[in-house]
Amino acid sequence: MKKLLKRVFFVEILKALKLVFAHYFVKEVTLQYPHEKNIFPDTHRGALCLLKYESGEERCVGCDLCEAACPSNCITVVSAVEEKDHVVRRFATDFDIDITKCVFCGFCVEACPVNALGMTKMYEFSTPNKRDLIFDKTKLYDVGEKWYGQAKGYLVAHNQEGEDEIVSEYRYRFPSSRKPENVVETDG
Amino acid sequence: MSSVGKQSAAPDAVKKLVEITINGEVVTAEENSSLFNAVKLTGVELPAMCYHYSFSPFGSCGLCLVEVEGKKNNVRACTAKVLEGMVVSTGTDKMVEARKGAVEKHLKTHPLDCPVCDKDGQCELQDMAYDLEVYDIAEGKRKQIPEDTRSTVLDFNMERCILCGQCINVCKEVQLVDALCFYKKDKQKHVGAHGGEELYCEFCGDCLAVCPVGAIVSKFSKFTFKPWQLKKTETTCSFCSDGCSITLETTQKDIQVVTSELSYTSKFGFDVEPGDGHGGICVRGRFGFDYVMSNERLSQPITKINGKFEPVSWFNALMEIGKRLKSIKEVHGGKSIAALVSGRCTNESVYLFQRLMRSVLETNNIDTAARYGHMNSVLAMQEALKIGKGTVTHQELALSDAILIIGSNLTETNPITALRPKASMTEFGGKLMVADTSKTNMLNLATLPLQIGLNSESLFIQGLIKSVIEQEFVDSEFLENYPEAYDALKNAVALISESLITEQTGLEWEKITETAEALAHSKRGVLLWGEGIISKPGAYDNVLLLIDLALLTGLIRKEGAGLFPICEENNEQGAVDMGGVPEFLPGQIPFSSEEDRKRFSSTWHTTLPEPSADALGLTLPEIIEAAHRGEIHALYVVGENPLASLPAEMKVREALEKIDLIICQDPFLTETGEMADYVLPASVFAENEGSYTNVAGAVNRVSEAFDPRGEARPDWKIFTDLSKHLGHPIQYRSVEEIYQEIVKMVPGYFRGNKPIAQADNYLNKRFIENISDRYAVHSETSQSDPPTTLSLEQVLYHSGKLTTRDKQLMEIDSKTALKISEADAEALGGLVTGDPVNIKSDLGQLEVAVEVSENLPKGLVQFPLHFNDPPLKDLLKVEIDPLSKVIYFKKGSVTLERPANLDLKVIETKSETTEDSEPEAVKDEEAS
Repeated sequence: MKKLLKRVFFVEILKALKLVFAHYFVKEVTLQYPHEKNIFPDTHRGALCLLKYESGEERCVGCDLCEAACPSNCITVVSAVEEKDHVVRRFATDFDIDITKCVFCGFCVEACPVNALGMTKMYEFSTPNKRDLIFDKTKLYDVGEKWYGQAKGYLVAHNQEGEDEIVSEYRYRFPSSRKPENVVETDG
Repeated sequence: MSSVGKQSAAPDAVKKLVEITINGEVVTAEENSSLFNAVKLTGVELPAMCYHYSFSPFGSCGLCLVEVEGKKNNVRACTAKVLEGMVVSTGTDKMVEARKGAVEKHLKTHPLDCPVCDKDGQCELQDMAYDLEVYDIAEGKRKQIPEDTRSTVLDFNMERCILCGQCINVCKEVQLVDALCFYKKDKQKHVGAHGGEELYCEFCGDCLAVCPVGAIVSKFSKFTFKPWQLKKTETTCSFCSDGCSITLETTQKDIQVVTSELSYTSKFGFDVEPGDGHGGICVRGRFGFDYVMSNERLSQPITKINGKFEPVSWFNALMEIGKRLKSIKEVHGGKSIAALVSGRCTNESVYLFQRLMRSVLETNNIDTAARYGHMNSVLAMQEALKIGKGTVTHQELALSDAILIIGSNLTETNPITALRPKASMTEFGGKLMVADTSKTNMLNLATLPLQIGLNSESLFIQGLIKSVIEQEFVDSEFLENYPEAYDALKNAVALISESLITEQTGLEWEKITETAEALAHSKRGVLLWGEGIISKPGAYDNVLLLIDLALLTGLIRKEGAGLFPICEENNEQGAVDMGGVPEFLPGQIPFSSEEDRKRFSSTWHTTLPEPSADALGLTLPEIIEAAHRGEIHALYVVGENPLASLPAEMKVREALEKIDLIICQDPFLTETGEMADYVLPASVFAENEGSYTNVAGAVNRVSEAFDPRGEARPDWKIFTDLSKHLGHPIQYRSVEEIYQEIVKMVPGYFRGNKPIAQADNYLNKRFIENISDRYAVHSETSQSDPPTTLSLEQVLYHSGKLTTRDKQLMEIDSKTALKISEADAEALGGLVTGDPVNIKSDLGQLEVAVEVSENLPKGLVQFPLHFNDPPLKDLLKVEIDPLSKVIYFKKGSVTLERPANLDLKVIETKSETTEDSEPEAVKDEEAS
């Protein structure tokens, strides 16, 4: 009897219509990409970049720990001695990240003792040329400059760095050795 | 497992054994030996940072702590001595805590700059911290010591130093150099050269290898690598004949750093036998890797078109060469083709090359760098003993109880072989006797230094023989088996007067008898000779004299005793063994033997050239002579550079100009290469597979670290490809196949089988026949003013001409100064280091800067043979040995003259360079 009534009054169809019309009043979820873009949290692991100190000095010391930490072997670092104004320091002459191999795990950022690496919210890598996906040092620094705020935000969100550049307990700055001429001067 | 840890007695000395208890286990150990070793033998590995088996314990790291019953404090096992009835426990909680504390103490003063430290990843302090789980370090304190970067090679970072003293100990006890020490500066302990001066030493880099942390780093590879980036390839060093095994650590196509066993194998000395050596390498091996990556290297074959080099493809180059060689062979016969092969090629390359020459081009005119001296040793030993190489291994050399080094500046020429006599003296209580004309490093260290007069080597050896006979120290078996030889010898030496010997050698007769006695009474005596004997006129006879001495004192017969001839290049011995000389087929089988020739020709499926009545084939000097006569139409040079090596008197340039076709196969464009029609780029040792035979006759593997640069190819590939174009393809698919063929043709070669000396034939015949010649007294007319002898010497930092292309070694040493004695400097009016001097001979005159050395006797001046600028070699006269055909060109007489304007120059300004003052010098000479 109940079954018959349901059939006569099209209850199921009405239920379906109710669901459909209810959606007119629900906030929409779909983003109209590329006209609209998603907003990510600070911890989002997007494109990798290299950062500089506020003085413009490169943070990277070419320690190669990122290469050691990388699970997909996509990082290559070549380091050398840099001598500037009698200060001898280690720096990276080449720093390549093969984005085609990168799995965006963020291990390299975690491994970096000087917080030279950061992750941005940039995720648009499409290119007609695959070679463009091997990010070299210049490109990485460009990304870092362009999205400095995001990379900084990532490091802060991961508690690797403080808001303030001066906060030193998050980061290690290596003593740079000085050339003997200067040593003599300071001694004297 | 026999012995580990530093020895201080002869290997066969009786040791007292006592029983001790370690962790409840009763073990026997040698009394008064290090407790550390005793614990190690039970299989317990104690952590330690400052311990190394090859030198005495220092006890500074405080990690090898153990508990000894009855002692209140923890005991450092390395410095503690084993005593009867000791009860030791190693693994208690108290000990673990104490070790943790020790690591924490080190970490507190450590800068923790691991990410920028070159030792990161192989740092012992890092490992210890992880192993002992030391993670929380209380507030650290920096030492604030600036890095010492004054030395050319090594940087000392005292911030990182844990003061373990290993660098100092390896320098002092193994190398016997003692260049490093602890010194105090600003109330802080430093490691460095004595007095805190700039370090200038042999730069062997062993301190770098033993440093557990990154306190000592190499300037040449500073900050350029991390250990996990590098691929390790075990291979053999390509410089001197020591044949040290080295590890090339490479990235894609660059050698970043060269290490050796000392850096890696257990510092606790497991599986180390006494006399095995400490596994270190020298300055050349460790820092001379830059030439491999040099931009000067040839990247593709080049050919000379209208006097200019043009690049050419491999196929075309080899096709052209093949065509021209074939036509020369058809028109002028195989005898008009000659070949030179370097002592730096692998055994496999030399084997293949001589096969190509002998079987395909049908010529026996093939020679190698051994003709510059080593052939004297080989031929003399072949004649007397039927062995053409040293009869003692490196290990036996270290365990020897009496070593006589004669005419060899071993620390300069073969620095790692030199460590064996040093070890024999300091570790095993052996007697080291060194006879040399100048005060070499070895002579200064020796237990019995014997500085002999110039050109008195043969008289000195005759004196030793005379002394052995007179004092009746002659080996009993020699007396029994060869009475005739003994009688002949006795009569011969009786003619040489004691006074002549003492006068010429400048030694007291007692010293000679002491040496003779030490050799005759030794159980494992070794005779070692080198450059000073083999590259001087009369060398062949002198080597025979040395063999006589060895036979007479029984050194040939005794186990562990014997002869140790030194050769220069890394595979000089191998090149001779592989038939790179006209005299021998591979395996030093005489080429004159028809039976053996047949054996080889049947394997190679060809006929070998028939030796003519007067000569088997042309040797290097004969090739040049024949070229002068226009009899040589083609010359194939592999890695050799006769134009730069031989003096102007040989007129090599003129000879080469007369040759129709010169093919030069070399990694670099050499002087000879510039005269060649085709230059083929060859690979270097880091890109080769194969083997080298070292000075002691041991064969060591060479492995490929990376592919050859550019279009360069390994030698064997070039030879096989060329053979196809010559219409007689020699087909090998890999070096392994050549190796297999050598194994078949020269049985036992790679296994290091020791041939047995067969002296019967010699002693009963030739020995007696030639005795009057050998023992003829060369009564030298004593001139009132004897001329100065110029000697071209090898230098520690260089090896042949090859290393002059190495930027790093040139940075360490590129001094082209003439070493003169203090007496000579005085005689020339008080010359000081840096002053120029005119050096004159019949062949010309040159100006060269001098370096006054206290180690030279009056009348001897030395110049490094590696450098041709100024070309002092061109002042020397050439003599060719009638028997061994060795070219003697490294020693000759010159006269020194003080430049006329020298005084003026000194007064004017000291900083003025010699070049500036040269025109003045010429003017003054003209005026006078």
